[in-house]
Amino acid sequence: MSSNNVYVIASSMVRVSRYFSKSYKDLVIDVVNELSSSVGSIDIDYLIVSNVFSDSILEQLDISTILAQELGLTPKPTLRVETGESSGLTAITQGYSLIKSGIADTVLVVGVEKCSEFPTPTMNKHFIKFSDYEVESIYGLSIVNEVALLMKMYMRKYGYGRDDLSSWSVKMHSNALKNPYAQLRFLITKEQVVRSQVVSDPIRLLDMYPVGDGASAILLSNRGDIVDNEVLEIVEIAQATSQPLNLREDLLSLPATRTVFNKLLSKSKLDLNDVIIEVHDSYSILGYLIIEELGLVERGRAPSIIDDLDNVNLSGGLKARGHPIGATGVYQVAEVFKIMTTGLGGIRRDSCWGLIHNMSAVDNNSVGVLVRRCSC
Amino acid sequence: MRLSIPRFWRKRFDYYSVRISECLDCGRRFYPRRSICPYCRSRNVRVIPSKGIGEVLTYTISYYRLEGYEEVIPKIIALIKLVEGPVLIGELVDVDISEVREGLKVEAVLRRLKSEDPAGLIYYGIKFRPTVG
Repeated sequence: MSSNNVYVIASSMVRVSRYFSKSYKDLVIDVVNELSSSVGSIDIDYLIVSNVFSDSILEQLDISTILAQELGLTPKPTLRVETGESSGLTAITQGYSLIKSGIADTVLVVGVEKCSEFPTPTMNKHFIKFSDYEVESIYGLSIVNEVALLMKMYMRKYGYGRDDLSSWSVKMHSNALKNPYAQLRFLITKEQVVRSQVVSDPIRLLDMYPVGDGASAILLSNRGDIVDNEVLEIVEIAQATSQPLNLREDLLSLPATRTVFNKLLSKSKLDLNDVIIEVHDSYSILGYLIIEELGLVERGRAPSIIDDLDNVNLSGGLKARGHPIGATGVYQVAEVFKIMTTGLGGIRRDSCWGLIHNMSAVDNNSVGVLVRRCSC
Repeated sequence: MRLSIPRFWRKRFDYYSVRISECLDCGRRFYPRRSICPYCRSRNVRVIPSKGIGEVLTYTISYYRLEGYEEVIPKIIALIKLVEGPVLIGELVDVDISEVREGLKVEAVLRRLKSEDPAGLIYYGIKFRPTVG
């Protein structure tokens, strides 16, 4: 029986990695095949594809139609979504909207990105496109530079040394060990973080996300009863934008992220310690700032609680699961779905609530989704 | 990345000088120049030239490799507060890394941003150097 609710009923992923022998089509076919084998034959009304670099890297526009053709989904309508690094979660909010508005009953959301087709310096010139090209990128300024400035200001304001901010990365690598889909499944130490290559001082290689390819898929439906497994209901979605770093009143704030969290949490009285949380930690300093915006810890205190945090980025986060740009938000929801229902490798939690946060650049825009396990 | 010549040309005054905006309704000033105030959405905004003088709030030494911008590595990237008030992010030149510090007084200077293949165009824009004199 259909309802006005929107459910996440299934998810699938490939491990984030550098797939030199597979095309973007191969990766998408893999995740859609896995999804089909888990739920059986389900008619979909719409295909939404989250992908950022199709025209920059793959010389491909209208990638959602090309994929529908490849997947044999024609004549179903399709849509490609792009809002920078937050595209994945934006795609899910678009699928949610299609179902809520009655245009579709069931929507397949696919996230896919190929980041290892070219050497890193070539990819870097695409990664900086998330900032205003005419104002920043044309000068050769990069997002990592902005984040480095932010990290220095944070260290000075709260009296932290460089070493004090290494625990986020250590924790993410430790979490990723149990996630079969994570790109970096090995432990690191704080010493390795501070000895890794300088990218933009004080940011070092092990403070930031690795470059990798990925594909993930989730099935959204207004019928939670068409699959045998447990499902999640999407209770709330939120999206917001903010001005660039240099125009912010408080340089250490993430205004769009704060707006998103306020909306997500306004109706539900949640104890955040009982919520499975995934946040957009493209750089470790952003991980700290995001959980402070969330209210999980007071400002300036995040680095001191990381070791004891056992409900944030159980996947390993962008730092260790990886960040296949347009696919990342879909991974986050796919992982939370598995963690709260069938299990994600060795990770399974009985929590009733999940909160997913995805953003672009230094909070140029931010997206959030709140889910609830239906059996709760 | 190859730049479009008309696209660069039409913004030449923004690239060859520092231009900021002042909102005549809320009084705030900001960089880059815009026709709508980012703080109060007023259209009652005027462009004012900046002296291009300011001070370094904080800075980073960047080894990030960017295709087309690899002539100088590392780069010194700074958050700069202009004397007129607005804050911007810019590259520092003509200074040793060891001499860069917070509070350093800097001034705008016209420098090469990038050049395309040997027969291609050279693009110029604003960078910052320690104030002379």
